[in-house]
Amino acid sequence: MSGVPGLKEDFEELLGAFQQADTVRFERFAELWRERRFHTIFYGRIRALERNKLTKKTLDLAQQYFFPPYSFQIRVGALYLLYGLYNAQLCQPKQKIRIALKDWPEIQKFQLDLLDSQHYDAAYIFRRLRLARAFHFTAMPKLLTYRTKKKIEENYFKEEFKDPSNRVNSLITNDVLEELMNIHDHYQKMKCVISADKSQPDKALSLIKDDFVVSLKDITLEHQEWQQNRMELLRNSKVTNETEDKKKEEIFLQSEGSERANALARIKYKSYSAVVEVSKSRRHRQVQLESSESGSGCGKSPSRSKKASRRPQPARRGSSEVRGEMQVAKETVTQHIGMPVIIEEDSDE
Amino acid sequence: STDMLMSSEKEEDSDVIPEDSSLLTLRIRKKALDRREEKIIVDRACRQETLTYEMESHATGKRPDNPTDLIEEGELLLTLNIFYPVIFQKHKDHKPYQTVLVLGSQKLTELRDSISCVSDLQIGGEFSCQPDQAPEHISKDLYKSAFFYFEGIFYNDKRYPECRDLSRIIIEWSESHDRGYENLQSAKMEDYVFNDLSLKIGFPYLYCHQGNCEHIIIITDIRLIHHDDCLDRNLYPLLVKKHWLCTRKCFVCKMYTARWVTNRDSLAPEDPCFFCDVCFRMLHYDAEGNKLGEFLAYPYVDPGIFN
Repeated sequence: MSGVPGLKEDFEELLGAFQQADTVRFERFAELWRERRFHTIFYGRIRALERNKLTKKTLDLAQQYFFPPYSFQIRVGALYLLYGLYNAQLCQPKQKIRIALKDWPEIQKFQLDLLDSQHYDAAYIFRRLRLARAFHFTAMPKLLTYRTKKKIEENYFKEEFKDPSNRVNSLITNDVLEELMNIHDHYQKMKCVISADKSQPDKALSLIKDDFVVSLKDITLEHQEWQQNRMELLRNSKVTNETEDKKKEEIFLQSEGSERANALARIKYKSYSAVVEVSKSRRHRQVQLESSESGSGCGKSPSRSKKASRRPQPARRGSSEVRGEMQVAKETVTQHIGMPVIIEEDSDE
Repeated sequence: STDMLMSSEKEEDSDVIPEDSSLLTLRIRKKALDRREEKIIVDRACRQETLTYEMESHATGKRPDNPTDLIEEGELLLTLNIFYPVIFQKHKDHKPYQTVLVLGSQKLTELRDSISCVSDLQIGGEFSCQPDQAPEHISKDLYKSAFFYFEGIFYNDKRYPECRDLSRIIIEWSESHDRGYENLQSAKMEDYVFNDLSLKIGFPYLYCHQGNCEHIIIITDIRLIHHDDCLDRNLYPLLVKKHWLCTRKCFVCKMYTARWVTNRDSLAPEDPCFFCDVCFRMLHYDAEGNKLGEFLAYPYVDPGIFN
């Protein structure tokens, strides 16, 4: 489906501000919403048929932020966003939020989390949505459409919204640690049983460190702390960057020659310069951006599209690309922060 | 916490985009609207758009008069796209289709009855010599067989004794050599409801009738029925979207829809040539009803007849 131009940026901006505020309170979100007067997002003299389509796409884009791998705060923000959009929409009868069957257990878990951590306002908002019958329970998350896509849009997650992918933590969970502890005890007991002195295992049998489970737990905690610090640094550097001069940034960015940065920049460039399908009636208006992969289908597609989706103007593209490259620079900056060295012995700093 | 902090406090016109909006979406939309203003592009709903919107929303919220016809909670709603068989060259890139909503508890035969295809209305036979005796029987009555193909099983319509098993020949063909199809089976259409089937979304299935008129069916969505949907069971299968086909008009008067088509007509400028009933008789027959000139004439049913 062709997206709504500018919508993703607006959502990310709002959710970003919410994340900055570092809270999950609804009042804070409502303030941010009112600041931006987000309810006007559906304005603009749109007729009924197109308004339905537009609202559907808006809600669909917003609900993507509601699921993992986004961090908890973003997901709460997405819930508030859905609530706001659902109530601010101008369609009559209201367009609903599509949730796939496979996602419901996730949502229920999320709701339990909310209740456990006593975020009652978020739970209340969710309950209100349920009571208002705002959800369609569907088999598949995206409604199928059959337009020939000029380009499969990559679903580009904003890096900062994601929970830091905590592979170490997902491996060494509490359960695993507990089980390791049990096995370790059992092992020690077995050693005692077979050795001469019943209260203590033989010296010859001490092949592993006795308290390795505890040290494992400490190491994983350290890793988690390191990761959180890294995220903090990332966020702080973004804040300082935005206050500086744009020109200075560009020079700073270009001096970073990391391969990964280039690859990321290339991907972003591609995703911002996709070709738009222009309907027959608007054929005289040429497509603004030339894309290398558009091929022959540029500009004069024979499709009977009812809605001509416009891509952002070149000027806007420039600024967002700078923003994109800014993020790339941060990735390279953080690469200079080395991993904390883990010492041989199991003593912490 | 409180709600309704979202809505605007003062009266706002939802048609007007606020000047100083910080939202990118609105800025882009405003530019498009301003450009339209500049170039004086008239922006009204054409009748196609009105039709599409009406079809989409005419049944929402309807409730039946008879409470036994009320759809219960937990009913499944399937959205099917039924494609027209290819008739025109201009459709080869985007095949036209109609969208039908169907309940999970409805039988396959109900869907079959609701599909309106122009080939059902064809009248076979050449009638240049006896134009008044064009028979009443349309193909729908003569050839009643049909089948659906879902996931390896052919569901044949066996309600009437004239119905034949059209799928038998396909099954025999696939079994004759090892062609790589797992065993295809045959079943009766009237015994199954949609809830019994296992289906893939987005996968093309087939509906075949009249022996060789084939329609592709794709399921685009399955969801639970909702309070705001149409809850009158009698209205399902519900048509929500239909492709508009232009009807062919009579060559002579250009006003009425064509009802006759002639081939090898010495009186007509092109072959084949379409006529409405009045013009056809006026041109080809004299006052006594004698045939003038040489031609072959067939009754014609235009695909746009369902508009």
